[in-house]
Parts: sequence; C-alpha cells; structure tokens
Amino acid sequence: MDPSLYLDRDTWVHHLDPRTKIFLLLGMFVLPFVFLSPLYEAAVLVLVLLFGYLAKVLENLRRIWFILVTIALLTVILWSIFGSGQTPLFLFVEQEALLYGISIALRIDITIIAGMIFLSTTRNEEVAIGLVRLGLPYRFAFAVSTALRLVPTIVTTGLTISQAQRSRGLDLKSGSVVQRIRKYVPLLVPVFVSTIRSTNVFSMALESKGFGASPKRTFFLQTAVGRRDVLTLIAFTALLAGSVALRVAGYGGLEGFSR
Amino acid sequence: MREAFAMWRHTQMVVLVALSAAIYAALLIPFKGIPLVPGFIEIRPANAFPVVFGLLFGPAGAWGAAIGNLIGDFFGTLSLGSIGGFVGNFFLALLPYKMWGAYFRSGENMEPNVDSGKKFGVYVALAFLSSVIGAVIISWFIDLLGLIPFTASLLLITPNNAIMAIILGPILLLALYPRVKRWGLLWTEIMNPEEVSGSRLQKVGNVLVWIGGLGAAGVGLLISYWGGIQGLGVGLGLAPFLVLIVVGSFMLGGREQVEAAEELIAVEEEESRA
Repeated sequence: MDPSLYLDRDTWVHHLDPRTKIFLLLGMFVLPFVFLSPLYEAAVLVLVLLFGYLAKVLENLRRIWFILVTIALLTVILWSIFGSGQTPLFLFVEQEALLYGISIALRIDITIIAGMIFLSTTRNEEVAIGLVRLGLPYRFAFAVSTALRLVPTIVTTGLTISQAQRSRGLDLKSGSVVQRIRKYVPLLVPVFVSTIRSTNVFSMALESKGFGASPKRTFFLQTAVGRRDVLTLIAFTALLAGSVALRVAGYGGLEGFSR
Repeated sequence: MREAFAMWRHTQMVVLVALSAAIYAALLIPFKGIPLVPGFIEIRPANAFPVVFGLLFGPAGAWGAAIGNLIGDFFGTLSLGSIGGFVGNFFLALLPYKMWGAYFRSGENMEPNVDSGKKFGVYVALAFLSSVIGAVIISWFIDLLGLIPFTASLLLITPNNAIMAIILGPILLLALYPRVKRWGLLWTEIMNPEEVSGSRLQKVGNVLVWIGGLGAAGVGLLISYWGGIQGLGVGLGLAPFLVLIVVGSFMLGGREQVEAAEELIAVEEEESRA
C-alpha cells in the first residue's frame, strides 16, 4: 500500500523548481481568502482544477473526494447554524449564512486540492531540497523528508501486524468504546517498538556517512530556478494582484452576513 | 525552551524526530478510528502518541508530533489550517514533558512513567490539559481564518485528543518506557543539562499554563457561543491566555529532569558495579 500522492508525469508543472511550487502553493492558499462570494470562490476552484488538469494529476481527486465532500457538507451545516444574515430562508437558517457556508466550504476544498496538486507533482526529495533552499535548517528538512519516506514502510508494517493479530482472534469491532480502545495496544506497541529500536543504528549509520560533519553540504539532486519558473511566478503574482484589486474595487464580497 | 532548538545538534534526537513523525503520520492511515458520532467525530488510536512522545523524547517528541501531523495532512488534507495543526500538536507533546517536573520534589523519582498512583494522576491531568491547549490553539487559528467556528472545532478536537491520550496513553507508556530507557533513548539521557533551560518560578509557571489553557477554552466558548463573537474577536479575547501558556512554558524549564536522570543513571551504575 503506497499512501503517497505523487504521480510521475512529464508536464511543465512537474518540471518547475520546488521553490516555485512552494510559492505557488502558498499563493493558492491565499487566493481563496481574497473573496467571500461563492461565485468568485467557484471561479478560483475552476482555476485550481485547470492547473491540476494541466499537471495531469486530477485522478488523485478520486482518493480525496470523500474528505472534500464531508468537509464541505460539515462546513455548510456549521456556518448555517453559527452564522447570521438578514434574509430568512428556512427555520433558523438565513440566506447569507448559507452562502457564507458555501463560500467557506469552497475555500477549504480549494486549499486541500491545491495541496493535493502540490504533492502529486513534487517528490519527497524535492520538498526537502525546496525547504533547504528557502532557508530552513538542513536537519529539520532531513527529518521531514525521512519521515515522509518512512511512512509507507510503517503503514505496511502496521497492516501486517494488524492482519497477524486478527488471525490470532483480535476483534476491534466488539465491546464498549473503552474496551475497543484498549484492543489497539497489541497493534500500536509492535509498530512503535519495531520502528524506534532502529534509532541508534540509524544514527550511527548517518554519522559514519558524515551527517552534520560540515555546516555546508552538497546535494545529489540539483535544482535551479529557470525562465519557466520566473514566468509562472509573474503570471501568478499578476493573478493574485488582480484578484486583490477586484476585491478592493468592491467585487467578490458578501453583503448582509455577520458572524 | 532552549532545548527545543539545542536538540537538533544531536543526531539521535534528529532521528527520533523523523521516526516519531513517521509513526504518528503512518498510524493515522491504516488504523481507522472509532466513531463516537458516526460521520462527524471519530477517535483515532494515533492520537494517544503525541503525549507519550513528549514524555519519552521531550523536544524531539514535540517536533515529531508537529511534523507527523503535517505529514498526515500531506496524504490528502494539506491546507492553510495545517499551520494551526503543526503548532497545536507541537504544544500537545511539549507541555507534558515541560510540566512533568513541576509535580515532583527535588530528589523524588520523576521518571516519566505511570508506575505509581501519583504519576498516573499527573499523567491524566497533563494529558487532559495538553489536549485542551492543543485544541484551543488549532481552533483559535482556524476560527481566525474564518474556516470553522471556535466552539465547533474545540468541541470536536478536545475529546479526539484527550480520550485516546487518557485511556490508551498510560498502557502504552507502561509498555514502552522500559524499552526506551534500556535503549538509552529517553531525552533526559541524550541531552546535556546545559542544553536545557532551567526553571524559573516553576510552580508559578505551572499555574500560568493551567490558567492559560482552561481560561482560553472557557472564555473562548463563552465569547464564541454565548457572546456570538468570532474571528478576530475570539482571536483577541484568547490572546492573553495564549500568552500565559507560552510564558508559563518558558518558566517551567526541564533541566532538573535531565539532572535527575543523570543522578539515577549514576546510582544504577554504582549498584550494578557493587
């Protein structure tokens, strides 16, 4: 079982420098926050989906559609209850609160889809080197990339242990909540022990290969910001600036809603 | 908080950050949660780990919980809210180890285990408080972004963190502590006393964190649900309590735990030689 979202495709998005992709991701996180109108949020969603289409990674939507739908429904319900407006719609729900709920649902889904596109087009090694090139300490980036690399291995170990314990009669679906929680102990302890016991060997292996021996280090993976990256960043900055200008000019807001 | 940055000098601590992050993130995937309210609230076994990581690995556990939660988001739910999740999980694992020493007198056995009634009581109290504070930080942040109302997210996240940490955490700690100690991987054994900040008015710091945590949750619920205030209003209302938590954490130190561990190792070595 591989939980990684990365899809190996030959597209211009995949070939962008990791730093460019990190900036684009941050920009995509900001863009939906510019507007409050569901219509404008829907336009941003279309834009993000178009970007995903160009990167040929929209098939990963199938893996997260349930999360997107659940979060969207929950958000619309919550804001319909907690928000207030001026136009009664049904029972205690006002039209503006419902519209605000839809906007926020779209906002959350847009950021999740943007995250999915980033992860579908960027390898773990690129994430790590991108973080280092942006000025984060190497040891921190190393911990992030190592953890990312280890997740599939630990997931497989977890599933193997789970199957082994079930074949010995472990039933996670019966009993009270407390009993069911306690039944996870024979699953969690072996996963923890089998992973953590390698710490000392792992540390020695790293140090024997010169980990941290020199403050400046070189990388096998070479990345560089090229013309394509600059053009992409200019286009996205223009889009963001245009969106802010639209909002300042009075478009994309939501009248009559109060929190 | 010096140790949260000084720990990166130790290769073992860096590896512990990576491994604990990987365990936390990985366990969020294969082991489905137990639904409390089907479709809305489910508690996941992985939620027991941040507190346990914090007590065993100290600052490495805190960074591990934060990075692990972020990586968990990498498998489908990475968004702006992930920043709040990073900070919230960091404090969820940081506070138990920072506060642990405040409940034991100098010279008293303060090993982070639950092998006595007093230690079990301290563990439950700290697991509850850190779960509340972790939830307050995340809820505060996502309410400030206007994503989910403070009341709703606080009431969803707190039980999710607290139930597993309180029920499953002590069993895990009992099973794991002797092994981790035998392998020499406790943070108090890896780090040197001079790398860990000393406590200043430790008891006062402990009280400040309690006031900050419970105050933030209480006042947050009060102004958000009954006062009808959200967004920046909740943000400003909770800011003084969040400052209390941070200030209290700085005052708590942690050096005395490292020194106590060194003394314990020296006594054990002497005994084994004798």
